[in-house]
Amino acid sequence: MEPEATPDFPESRRADVGEVLLSLATILFGAAVVWQTTQIRLTPAYSKVGPRVIPYIIGAGLILVGAWLLVEALRGHEAIPASTDSEDADPALPTDWRTVGPLALALLAYLILLEPAGFVIASALLFVGAAFAMGSRKLVRDSAAGVIMAVILYVGFTRGLDLNLPAGILAGIL
Amino acid sequence: MGALGELLHGFSVALTPENLLWALIGVVLGTAVGVLPGIGPALTVALLLPVTYRLEPISAFIMFAGIYYGGMYGGSTTSILLNTPGESASIVTAIEGNLMAKRGRGSAALATAAVGSFVAGTIGTIGLTFIAPVMVQIGLKFGPAEYFALVVLAFTTVTALLGRSMARGLLSLLLGLAIGLIGIDTLSGQSRFTFGIPELQNGVDVVTVAVGLFAVGETFWVASRMRHDAGEIIPIQGSVGMTREEWSRSWRPWLRGTALGFPIGSLPAGGAEIPTFLSYALEKRLTKHPEEFGHGAIEGVAGPEAANNAAAAGVLAPLLTLGLPTSATAAILLAAFQRYGLDPGPTLFRQNPDLVWGLIASLYIGNVMLLVLNLPLAGVWVRLLAIPRPLLYAGILVLAGLGTYGLSGSMVDLVILYLLGALGFVMRRFDIPVAPAVVGMVLGPIAEDHFRRALQIAQGNYATFVTRPLSAAILLVALVALVAPPAIRMVQRQREKNQPAPALPSDT
Repeated sequence: MEPEATPDFPESRRADVGEVLLSLATILFGAAVVWQTTQIRLTPAYSKVGPRVIPYIIGAGLILVGAWLLVEALRGHEAIPASTDSEDADPALPTDWRTVGPLALALLAYLILLEPAGFVIASALLFVGAAFAMGSRKLVRDSAAGVIMAVILYVGFTRGLDLNLPAGILAGIL
Repeated sequence: MGALGELLHGFSVALTPENLLWALIGVVLGTAVGVLPGIGPALTVALLLPVTYRLEPISAFIMFAGIYYGGMYGGSTTSILLNTPGESASIVTAIEGNLMAKRGRGSAALATAAVGSFVAGTIGTIGLTFIAPVMVQIGLKFGPAEYFALVVLAFTTVTALLGRSMARGLLSLLLGLAIGLIGIDTLSGQSRFTFGIPELQNGVDVVTVAVGLFAVGETFWVASRMRHDAGEIIPIQGSVGMTREEWSRSWRPWLRGTALGFPIGSLPAGGAEIPTFLSYALEKRLTKHPEEFGHGAIEGVAGPEAANNAAAAGVLAPLLTLGLPTSATAAILLAAFQRYGLDPGPTLFRQNPDLVWGLIASLYIGNVMLLVLNLPLAGVWVRLLAIPRPLLYAGILVLAGLGTYGLSGSMVDLVILYLLGALGFVMRRFDIPVAPAVVGMVLGPIAEDHFRRALQIAQGNYATFVTRPLSAAILLVALVALVAPPAIRMVQRQREKNQPAPALPSDT
């Protein structure tokens, strides 16, 4: 790879569906920002340069960038997914939803469990679930690592740093 | 008191046993996260923000600075031995460095990277020591209009120079700016984009944004396309060191890399990536061993690594003297200052000389520590790469939840964290750089503040930004930075079209 010759977009004739959707989403988001800006209340003293000016500029900017992306997409430009800042990801692969889906479920479980079940249980389950989703099959090792990590973090942060973390059903034990 | 006197005073602050300990913790953590994939200095500082609120500011910043510098050292280890750069500033190092490792010269590549980082980091810190007071003097002359222009300049360069597509850089910046709008507007007291959710009144915390975009987004990105050929760590043979010939081939690239890195890094528009590319190109042209480039030339590691570290020192100059971050880590550092109620810029040097100069002095100390940590102990750091990836990323997710929830104790923040994680995933999928969003989110409110103050002073006259000569000049530079790259490309394309195709044997 020649670093000084930054690769340009590979030109392909057909517009990429994902690229078009990205540009439309950007335009929609910009429009939503503009619409929400009209809902900001104005105080008379700031009528000239009030709290709406910058949000309008940002909303308009988003719409313009969305249009720009749409033109690029229709011309057949296609993104090379981030290839530089991930050590463990291979940008050439397609999205593997069978890994992403379970991982998202693990986070959802964490959201639901954190306050009722407590930090230690929720974190240990998140650890084991995320490791399993990403392909680890050593359940015993992962469970041990998850529980140890969760307990150390909980004790260290609540006792050592006075941070408030939910004890959940283990209240009184830990 | 001149810069030297101030610096000596700074050493008296940084050399207390307690602060030395924080510096050591910082550089160890920094090296570790630099080596580890999936977690970098910006994320680490963000995760540590909630737990450092009880520390003295100076101790916290000495640790953060150690993490910042340490990340640069550790990043080169990973890119040399794994050929997968952990940070964009290490891309170039990975090219020749990994080839050297494959040829069995990995220990020399690590050594030239570590010593080069030390040389460049130290010279860069000396540069920072002397340029900072000058920039403070300039900064004192700036009014809100000039500051606004400077922020615009930082915006344009962060978006135009990073990544392959300006539209995508701008999109990232605008997303960050939009997130920065959420909350109560400080000047008018009106809430904006809060959707009636009380937790949003204070805005989205930068920790949530950084952790969401970096940690959660990166984890999902990795999960979505795990590298199956990964894990091929090239073992280092023998102790880390260089032969006499390798020393003599390294020292000039170190100095040239430093000379490129520091000035570019210290511009209010810099960053660390560009100097590494420039240094690689320069070394390739100047080398006496052109045949080795592409097969593991030591100059191709020494120069860019030095450029990278010198630029990292340079980036601190606009951050400390003007309050202007030009990288994601610098943006998080700015947010850390704000958390302590400190306002980086000329006044910080006047009101808090202990903090500023203690911090700068700690950079000298941290560099020495890092050299010691990285030369003899390189093999220890490499072992971190053996952590199974599923466990590493599972751990990152647990820490992300802890950092965000521990900050506020609010489930709303946790939901926002995961939404931002999804956004970070989508951004990676579409090759949208993440750093401009973080910079935009932190700098946006500051820019708006300067913008509206300038207009209040000018009584609503928008022309104030172009009639004040300094502000007009800075905005002009920003415009050039934005317009020049696509214009040059267009001219080149036009020229290619107009010129008849080079004489190829025709089909007829």
